Amino acid sequence: MTLSSRFSLSVGLLATLCLAAIIHILVVLSIPHNVLHSAYDNIGTYGPDRQFNLLPDVRPGEEALPDLDPAMKHAACRFQLADGPVLFDASIPVPFWSIGLFNAAGEAVYSLNNRTAGAERLSMLVLTTEQLSILRENPPENLEDLIVIETEEPLSGFALLRAYVPHPTREDSIDRALQAASCGSIR
Amino acid sequence: MSDTGFRPAHGEADWYDERLPRAIRSHRFNPIRTLATITLVVVLASLLGISSAYLIIEREQPLNAVTLGPWHAYPKAGTSEADPYSVAIYTRGAVIPLASGEGLALVAREDSNGHQLDPTCVYRIAGQTPSARLWTLTAVDGHGRLVKTMSGRVNLASDTLLRNPDGTFEITAATWPHSGNWLPLAVGARAADGLRFVLRVYDAPVTTGAALDGVTMPTIDRMGCP
Repeated sequence: MTLSSRFSLSVGLLATLCLAAIIHILVVLSIPHNVLHSAYDNIGTYGPDRQFNLLPDVRPGEEALPDLDPAMKHAACRFQLADGPVLFDASIPVPFWSIGLFNAAGEAVYSLNNRTAGAERLSMLVLTTEQLSILRENPPENLEDLIVIETEEPLSGFALLRAYVPHPTREDSIDRALQAASCGSIR
Repeated sequence: MSDTGFRPAHGEADWYDERLPRAIRSHRFNPIRTLATITLVVVLASLLGISSAYLIIEREQPLNAVTLGPWHAYPKAGTSEADPYSVAIYTRGAVIPLASGEGLALVAREDSNGHQLDPTCVYRIAGQTPSARLWTLTAVDGHGRLVKTMSGRVNLASDTLLRNPDGTFEITAATWPHSGNWLPLAVGARAADGLRFVLRVYDAPVTTGAALDGVTMPTIDRMGCP
């Protein structure tokens, strides 16, 4: 059986389009698995895990990470909940600061700013459900005052702390406050 | 003499004859032709699929945009509810988004008349922003990178802004200094470098669930180009 040339041309075009659509979808879906430098990897280059590392100031041509606000100073901390709960503690004397928790894929897990934190001081505990039940058996005194974030899976990710610099003269004190911020074990 | 004269009038010997309709004519299998067709289809499909994916990702404009005049926001991008294109764009750029509890970034790539922003032009950004505790306005190039400016400053913040008595403001975005609120643009930029304005509103109701509809955003007007 021979098909008419117009019919075979349409079949060929249709096959091309269907295959192109499949390839398009596969390419888009495979990009996240094939990136050379994820945000999680980039943050690892600024210092050891489980402590806040001050990122260099955001200036033209020397941005520490893409798409950061040049009006802010940033500190980042990479952590793995498999190594134990993480306690974030910081006191930053600026009109605005915020912290975002991201998983290794760079998706926001939790975030708050100094107004929603309810206190001038940031004290936040991130742990898995299992770690929380262990902790409850022998709770630390200040557990009630902490913002407790419970995750089901042992999260590997990073926290990014942003502090607004209202005036260049405040830069030093903000740097010190960000360096003093802790991201470590509960005791 | 016609050549049909050599053939039986009613026989099966001419079943392959050219006069038969194409659909029931015998098919002579031609492996090289089939292979060539399949190769052509696969090559064309790969080209089409890969280039269309590249173009969409390279444009760096996630889907599901919330559009407010010339401004676009992507509140879902960078969360677990993001669409695959946003995920690809954000992971490829290793971009850390502003999370919903921190703020919302609004990006303008065009002025209020729909013309592409050009770093050699002078723009007037005027009006009001959504209510927020703090906002910053940054000028970046077409790839979202910061640029060198005359003053060394690349942004403006809401707490140092000069405002009209009714709370509105006017910002002049230009390479050369201007009186009033001046947002410096790149020095020695060419039109091809591209320009984007990024307005980051921090701790604003619009980032914490309140609807983005009906929010007033500043307009961007082109004042002049060289």
